Amino acid sequence: MTLYFLGLAALVAAGLSAVILGRRPAFADRSYGLLAGAGCVLAGLPAVRVLAGGPAPGVQLAVPTPAGGGPWVFGIDLLSAAFLLVVLGPGLASALYGVRALRSERAHGSNAARLLFVLELAALALVVTARAVVPFLIAWEVMAVLAYFLVTFEHERAEVRRAGLVYLVATHTGTLALLALFASWAGPSGGGSLSFDALAARADALPAGGALVLCLALFGFGLKAGLVPLHFWLPDAHASAPSHVSGLMSGVVIKMGIYGLFRVVSLLAAPPAWWGWLVLALGAVSAVLGVLWALAQHDLKRLLAYHSVENIGIILMGLGAGVLGIAYRVPLVAVLGFAGAILHTLNHALFKSLLFLGAGATYHATGTRELDRLGGLARRMPLTWIAFLIGSVAIVGLPPLNGFVSEWVVYQALLGGVTSAGPIRLSLVGIAALALVGGLALACFAKVCGIVFLGAPRSTAAARGHEAATGMLAPMLGLAAACVLIGLAPALAVGPALAVGASVARAAVETAGSGIPQAVTRIGLLSLMVVALLGLGSLAWAALRRRRPTSQAETWGCGSALPNVRMQYTASSFAAPLLAAYGPLAGVRETRSRTAFHSHAREIVLEGAILPMWAAVRGALWRLRPIQHGRLWVYLLYLIAVLLLLLLYLAGLVGGTSR
Amino acid sequence: MTAGSLLSLGAVLVLAPALPGVATKTKALLTGRRGAPVLQLYRDLLRLLRKGAVYSTTTTWMFRLAPVAAVVTPLLAGILLPLDGRGAVLQFSGDFVAFAALLALGRFTLILAALDTGSSLEGMGASRDAAFASLVEPGLFLCFVVLILATGRLSLSGMLGAAPAPSLAMVAVSLFFVLLAEASRVPVDDPATHLELTMIHEVAVLDHSGPDLALLLYGGALRLALFAALPVSVLVSRAPLAAPLALTVLVAGMVVVAVAVGIVESSMARLRLSRVPQFLVAASVLASLGVILQLLT
Repeated sequence: MTLYFLGLAALVAAGLSAVILGRRPAFADRSYGLLAGAGCVLAGLPAVRVLAGGPAPGVQLAVPTPAGGGPWVFGIDLLSAAFLLVVLGPGLASALYGVRALRSERAHGSNAARLLFVLELAALALVVTARAVVPFLIAWEVMAVLAYFLVTFEHERAEVRRAGLVYLVATHTGTLALLALFASWAGPSGGGSLSFDALAARADALPAGGALVLCLALFGFGLKAGLVPLHFWLPDAHASAPSHVSGLMSGVVIKMGIYGLFRVVSLLAAPPAWWGWLVLALGAVSAVLGVLWALAQHDLKRLLAYHSVENIGIILMGLGAGVLGIAYRVPLVAVLGFAGAILHTLNHALFKSLLFLGAGATYHATGTRELDRLGGLARRMPLTWIAFLIGSVAIVGLPPLNGFVSEWVVYQALLGGVTSAGPIRLSLVGIAALALVGGLALACFAKVCGIVFLGAPRSTAAARGHEAATGMLAPMLGLAAACVLIGLAPALAVGPALAVGASVARAAVETAGSGIPQAVTRIGLLSLMVVALLGLGSLAWAALRRRRPTSQAETWGCGSALPNVRMQYTASSFAAPLLAAYGPLAGVRETRSRTAFHSHAREIVLEGAILPMWAAVRGALWRLRPIQHGRLWVYLLYLIAVLLLLLLYLAGLVGGTSR
Repeated sequence: MTAGSLLSLGAVLVLAPALPGVATKTKALLTGRRGAPVLQLYRDLLRLLRKGAVYSTTTTWMFRLAPVAAVVTPLLAGILLPLDGRGAVLQFSGDFVAFAALLALGRFTLILAALDTGSSLEGMGASRDAAFASLVEPGLFLCFVVLILATGRLSLSGMLGAAPAPSLAMVAVSLFFVLLAEASRVPVDDPATHLELTMIHEVAVLDHSGPDLALLLYGGALRLALFAALPVSVLVSRAPLAAPLALTVLVAGMVVVAVAVGIVESSMARLRLSRVPQFLVAASVLASLGVILQLLT
């Protein structure tokens, strides 16, 4: 635990050094990078030790708070350790990327932004290690508020301020639900201890099997995770932030919602089956709609943000399957479901941060995030392209990368349900949903990669693109290497994930079945074969090609000799047939005139439900406006009227008793 | 992993290019023409391999990777299928997910190669390919779910070759629909069309020439062979047969499937593009009915 707190101290020191040494940028960059790196490594070491099978450390601090709630407990169990790695790994990559990215954005305020970024990392680390209600909620609030300042870095733009406001409202609504959650869980116990262990001891006494607690958790943590329909704040906030902040928000911060749900499940010994079905269904809906809405986007970062909704859905499907496994007493499903969810959380943190950093690099190089104005960047940014391609193949869930491994574990959990007896067999619906999501995600990332990086540049901005600086490339390539490593050696990640899953399911790791380790080894073998055959095949084919006459020419235009970049297929036209098949669900609004065609991707929940609801509330309150005149005599009249009414009431009361 | 499964894989690799020929010949005979020889694709492949290639100046390494991936991915998917009726070269719990994902990887590279050329026609083909493939996937997985419910086994080697049941007939029909879409045949796509605007797969590979085109054609034949082997393995349990006989039954079954593809092709026109999704959803619905039947029994 000492190492962990030393690591957090180093993180804070890194931020302070960036601010204090702000006058000497080169020196500040170096000290910031070194201290942040040291902090993440130090704080991560205990987590690695726990995941490798070491004892779980913990510490109790007697912090006198006016609110009470007992001592502040911190600890790193298997679940905390897994999430600590999710926070620190991608978090460090984003922090280092931010050094170079912010330097060229603008000088003003960038040092403070760095301080806020490492503080956010420290707050995230505290959220996943806090084991009592008071420190958990404090860390949660600090995390949420710091994220607001990070998102609104470019606050001179109106849409950024709007996105920040929507985010702030959403996150505080969530916190309110969490307060209600813990209050109802603790009950009227007053000054008793509010440590998580105390809550777990009280779990059996909760009315209706903890239905209220579970619903509040799903709302409060779901709002942070961004499951449909609580995702409405997410696309705007993630698209408006600087790219390394988007990477952290999408890859790590929303995972705190997942962590919260995991923690609640692990504290409640026996979550009921209906909640498992609810989580599974919400996960399936989030996954399908998230990827469908992503497909409709024209803005690269908004598209990636919607993909986070999809991946949160996949994670929730694993979590839901795990809960069903507990409820129906099929430990195999429970362990595999939780393990799949944990592993996909880690994998998504890796490849989503990578994709946002890559998107940031293209934005940096071209000045636009509009898909239909990009193109041909593979030639100008070869290394960014390879990193982005690795992230894309990983997020689609294709071998030989990590996304395939975690989706396979989630499939295994659902399949375990299918082969059991009883109602749990209906988890097969999840398999169909996951298959559909896979196909749609492939279409979506084929569109992104093809339109942004391949073909010819669609604008002069795209034609001027240049490779990202080393300081931005290195974090991207590091994340890409992690994706490849988990893909080629899946046993490294699946083993610890199974241990975490078993700890949440309160079952032995062996219940996951003896077939799993063998299958994981064979998946690794298959992935290696994919890489080897593609590599060797390409080499052999290049050798053959050298012995044949090859020539260069224009792309075949079917007889028309009019090479024109504006004739290329665009992102909108690429997505059109799929979106047409889904009709109004896709949320695309098209306007046609004789000379122009516009398509606009609506945020269905925000624009279709929440904003109209807000407007209705405002309209209703507007009717109350006439009572506020601002003239003194009106308010005196109100006072006298209220006094008179009270006197009459009292007179009635006295009269009633005297009679 | 046995010698038998490797041998069967080898036989499929060698015989695959004959299948499109069988389909085309059936179509020709049914429409009163003599048609190209059954082994025409072998000749085409040899001729293309000897030719040079033309590359568009817009293309990058992705364009050159796609033909290799088009052969490598079905090859690796093939080692997961129990082609000898007993067991695959490589089998593990949930290997059907890898089977589908490998084929998807091949499609992903092919779509990227099409977009790499910057041609609007190839973009069109790529877009339709991606759209229709995403609708095929749930049907394919639901077919596997029926087989899992019927056998309780999670690997392709275990689930193929279950005892005959009404739900398996639905699976076989649904898998045939999936084949028509995955191998780009009528009514989803027409391999014989000459109008770029109506093509799907053919137009996505418009710029590939010479040896690259040979690989793409061979990869397409391999895909057709794998998807033809699936319904055959569902309907005929070949585990009790001797190894040579099992292989003969597989090849005969694949020829029957190819003939069926030819019959479909000569009896109906390609569907309008906006109707194709309905056809693909029909495959999923059929598989769902199979699931319900299997759950009830």
